[in-house]
Amino acid sequence: MDDSGISTEISHDEFDPIGTLALIALYFVVLTLMWLFTYFVEFVGNAPTPTVLL
Amino acid sequence: MNIHAYERLWLVASMVLIVGFIVTITYGTVGLGITMVDDREETISPDDVDEDDRFQDPRVEQVGENEFEAYVVSMTFLFQPDPIEIPANNEVTFYVTSRDVIHSFTVVGTNTNTMVIPGEVSAMTVEFDEPGEYGVVCNEYCGPGHHDMEGSLIVHPEDEYSLTELSVDAPDQVGPGEDVELTISIQNGLLEDLETTVDVEVGDETLEQDVTVPGGETEQVSVTVDGDDLEPGDAEWSASVDDEVETGTVTIGDDADDGGDEP
Ligand SMILES: [Cu+2]
Repeated sequence: MDDSGISTEISHDEFDPIGTLALIALYFVVLTLMWLFTYFVEFVGNAPTPTVLL
Repeated sequence: MNIHAYERLWLVASMVLIVGFIVTITYGTVGLGITMVDDREETISPDDVDEDDRFQDPRVEQVGENEFEAYVVSMTFLFQPDPIEIPANNEVTFYVTSRDVIHSFTVVGTNTNTMVIPGEVSAMTVEFDEPGEYGVVCNEYCGPGHHDMEGSLIVHPEDEYSLTELSVDAPDQVGPGEDVELTISIQNGLLEDLETTVDVEVGDETLEQDVTVPGGETEQVSVTVDGDDLEPGDAEWSASVDDEVETGTVTIGDDADDGGDEP
């Protein structure tokens, strides 16, 4: 085993890189903010919008 | 199958996003009452637009307290009426149809925006809170003049809005020293009574008359200017009610025979 250069062997689920987790979280936040901006600022903010007669 | 924890995390996160999207759209529809323009209006043949009560005379009409309807016709390359004048803070339903090809009716900078399809009537109910002038453009390519296809929408402050129309019956010529009589018809398109003043000017003479026009009706006012007060020759006249003005010319005396063939 020493010859292969592997110092520790871990299983599939034990590989948890922090950087990847941070990217996933950042991507989620970006998508959420873009959605909120598109809907609530760009769309709903462009009043008046056709509405039903209440 | 071995799915990594991060991958499972992302599957859950994307589900959360999808549910969030659906929730906001539902909130917009149920909470804010936002509607889509659909085909619920009856169809109308583009050839019959001129025979339709709404579209033969494109206009804005009051249909109830704080409720107005605007009938708009689009065609290559214009919108009728132009400008469209509506009051702020009132419910206005736009009915838009096309005489020829597909257009759109887009009030720039707002969500008041619909496709206009020949044969269909697009209906949108909106309430403008901000008085001002808005541009109306066509955003469906409709021909070589498409880029010039524009109209305008003027939103008046509620208390300054009127649907008053003025027409004046005046003589072209009167004999020397004869009285000049103007008959002024004032049409009040609002449901409320219109209390206003008619200002008449003939030459240097000015006259004023108060008038009340009941809602939806036309009232006639006759104004007579004493012929002895007028100089012979051409006299300009004008009649105005609020912002509406009609003008013309009356010839006083018999010196204005067009050919001047008599010495
Ligand atoms: Cu067009």
